[in-house]
Amino acid sequence: MDLAFPRRLSPMTVSRDVLQRLAAGDPAALAEFYDRYAPLVNAIALRILRAAADAEDVVQEVFLQAWRQADRFDPGRGTPEAWLCTIARTRSLDRLRRRSSRREDPEQVAPAPANAPRNVEALAVREALQGLSLDQRRALELAYYEGLTQTEIAARLDEPLGTIKTRIRTAMLRLREALGPLTP
Amino acid sequence: MTEDLFLELAPLQALGALDAEDRVRFEGHVGSCVACAAELRAHERVAAVIALGLPGVRPSPALRRRLIAGQGGQGSPAAAARAPLPWFGALAAAASLVLAVSLGVVRNQRDGARREAASARAEAERAVAALTAAERDLAEAQAFRALVQRGSSRIATLAGLSPALGAHARVVFDPATREAVLVASGLAPAPPSKTYEAWVIASGAPEPAGVFRPDAQGRAVLRLPLVEGTRAAKTFAVTLEPEAGSSAPTGPMVLAGAAS
Repeated sequence: MDLAFPRRLSPMTVSRDVLQRLAAGDPAALAEFYDRYAPLVNAIALRILRAAADAEDVVQEVFLQAWRQADRFDPGRGTPEAWLCTIARTRSLDRLRRRSSRREDPEQVAPAPANAPRNVEALAVREALQGLSLDQRRALELAYYEGLTQTEIAARLDEPLGTIKTRIRTAMLRLREALGPLTP
Repeated sequence: MTEDLFLELAPLQALGALDAEDRVRFEGHVGSCVACAAELRAHERVAAVIALGLPGVRPSPALRRRLIAGQGGQGSPAAAARAPLPWFGALAAAASLVLAVSLGVVRNQRDGARREAASARAEAERAVAALTAAERDLAEAQAFRALVQRGSSRIATLAGLSPALGAHARVVFDPATREAVLVASGLAPAPPSKTYEAWVIASGAPEPAGVFRPDAQGRAVLRLPLVEGTRAAKTFAVTLEPEAGSSAPTGPMVLAGAAS
């Protein structure tokens, strides 16, 4: 009885193949890579910047960077999705800080409606986040999507610093436990 | 600052949420502390996937046109630096064409018309088989995606048990339809004359849910048969069994996890 799916149906295996082709300079891989991940990268940039034009600038930067550095991607350190998430968050937070230092306040866009998760990993992350208490999730999101430090979060929420530290730490430990060892 | 206090800073550092003073102290310590470095890496992995929970938002088509038109067709800059000179490529292509043609002529002379006909038939059969397999794969991929995206689907996380501590798996399942897919990773090849077998445990005895082999990377994706226990699954598990599979678990349990 051989019920095993072909290897290429595993979402992570698929992503890695595209990345290898991208690093090898296959032009079709760029379009495929973009089509697969642009919604994720754009969602992160939009969540952080809350302005469509700024978010699209970041999407462009992220894909140019990923494209230039595809050959440096190390599968041992995580999935391509995780790699892109990290680049997208870093670049979005950089832009957010530049923007706030110029005191610009762009037109805000409404958060996207929740739709179906993309794959097993996304489903697991969403369930794990829903497993946190509202307070834990709020503190975690201020750190993750607004780039605030523990002291800034404590001030924003008007809570003692020790409470915030514990809340974020507990949230991260619970996520870690719920997601299990995140396999590359 | 004590070791425990440093360990407690790791999740905050992974999020970039430490204040400057704590960050400097942590960064000064982590370079020389294996435990803190491992803890930081584990939390960085968690931090890297937090955004995966966001629903996707497709950017405007104009951005796609700009990006793909601007860069496509030239290959990636990373690859361009390694690409051989154009004349070398052309020369190599010409040489292999000459080789292919000569080989073809020799073969054609040697083989009779009958053998050619047989090979054409075999070729056609292979093409039909490949097409059928591709269609089946596509149907399975669509079924899998549909299952993951269905609102009623649930998920179980299976942890590796000794001696397969590095293994990890998830089962996505729909209690209403009994459909279930197991995605495993970090599995060693099964020992000679052994195989991995999946089990669904509801209230009674474990129900066998298929044998499988991980691929060369230790990964396996297995669509479980529609067993009754999936309606009220409490636990999913994987054991090592004799090659033919067992009707009740006999070997060591390598993965297990409760249905959420």
